[in-house]
Amino acid sequence: MSTSDADGFYSMGARARLRRIRQVILVGSGKGGVGKSLVAAGLALSLANRRRRVAVFDIDVHGASVPSYFGLSPPLRSSSKGIEPDAAGGVSVMSVGLLTGTRPVPVRGGLKEGMITELFALTNWGRLDYLVVDLPPSTGDEMLTALRLFRAKSSLVLVTTPSEGAVSVVARLAALARSERIPVEGVVVNMAYMVRKGQKLFPFGRAGPSLQRSLGTQVIVEIPLDPRISSQGLLSLMPRRSPLGSALGALADYVLNPESADSQR
Amino acid sequence: MHELSIARNVVEYALSEAASSGSKRVEEVQVEVGELTQVEPDVLSRSLSMLMTGPKLQGCRVVVTTARATFECRSCSSRWGLAEVRRELDEVPDELRVQEPESRELPLHFLPQLYSAFIHCPRCGSADISALGGEDIRIRRLALE
Repeated sequence: MSTSDADGFYSMGARARLRRIRQVILVGSGKGGVGKSLVAAGLALSLANRRRRVAVFDIDVHGASVPSYFGLSPPLRSSSKGIEPDAAGGVSVMSVGLLTGTRPVPVRGGLKEGMITELFALTNWGRLDYLVVDLPPSTGDEMLTALRLFRAKSSLVLVTTPSEGAVSVVARLAALARSERIPVEGVVVNMAYMVRKGQKLFPFGRAGPSLQRSLGTQVIVEIPLDPRISSQGLLSLMPRRSPLGSALGALADYVLNPESADSQR
Repeated sequence: MHELSIARNVVEYALSEAASSGSKRVEEVQVEVGELTQVEPDVLSRSLSMLMTGPKLQGCRVVVTTARATFECRSCSSRWGLAEVRRELDEVPDELRVQEPESRELPLHFLPQLYSAFIHCPRCGSADISALGGEDIRIRRLALE
């Protein structure tokens, strides 16, 4: 029995941590570049704004980007309770990126399961209402590890852009979730439109009814493309009355109360 | 500090195994510490002994050993030990070291699986390397009564 065994003694620590977390929201797409990390970070911030205890676990080992949305960087601290997550905007954040900074992480597949399990088990999450897990692209080791760790308490929010190419890849993740009996909350269409001089523009096409049919689930919300993200950052944009902040707030409202929240187009 | 977290996980595992096998007590725990983890064997041993309380753990023998770290380069097939890359690890800046109450530790101390982010082949410089041993913490023996 070792720390590198899939069912090693860190799995027990992981189960103990999970007992103190009410619900896990997996945010994934199977495809890169659609804005999963933005949606995961924005959802967490919106939940925190609604006075929920929330953390984000970024398990994209090779391309960790969640810390940057919160303006966070290494080093981390540790205590007698484990590694302390960093925090911003009322959200606790843990990511491999907070251990490796800008260094590449050329880790082969077999190590990733143990790494993610161990990092989850060692982090002092505390008691949480929501753990938002930012999944990397693909349906490989990281995704399968997340399903194994969080199956009992998790549901999946899919993220896509309107393009047919993106939707076709995301559909594969939706199919995997169903085969693994992970409830799919719905789909977030990111970069759905942008607003220029009061007019809505659709640079990546329009998400129509075929998207819902392809993914077998409803559209929860459409999120606009907001170029100010790069210059001003998500933390700065969220509190303002912006289409981006409103859309992410609507996503949080849906997560909090899916029966009474209307899904929005 | 991290040794205490490891010890807690080991003890929880031992108690769980004892419970699932219907054993009365845990007689002995042998833990092997991989050199790459930078975990101090004597600190881990003291942490384990401190946690050996309660009827199922009373009198449990704690044995902690170390395993040497060995690496292989997938590009040039070189093999080497930790001593050959000690300088590279020593040069990891403070900004990447996890702050413990009385020290700053390499991330490898917590996640040894990250070794390829911090170590390169001393011969060809490649980061495409594998650890052949000494990269994790193992329970070598768990004796139950």
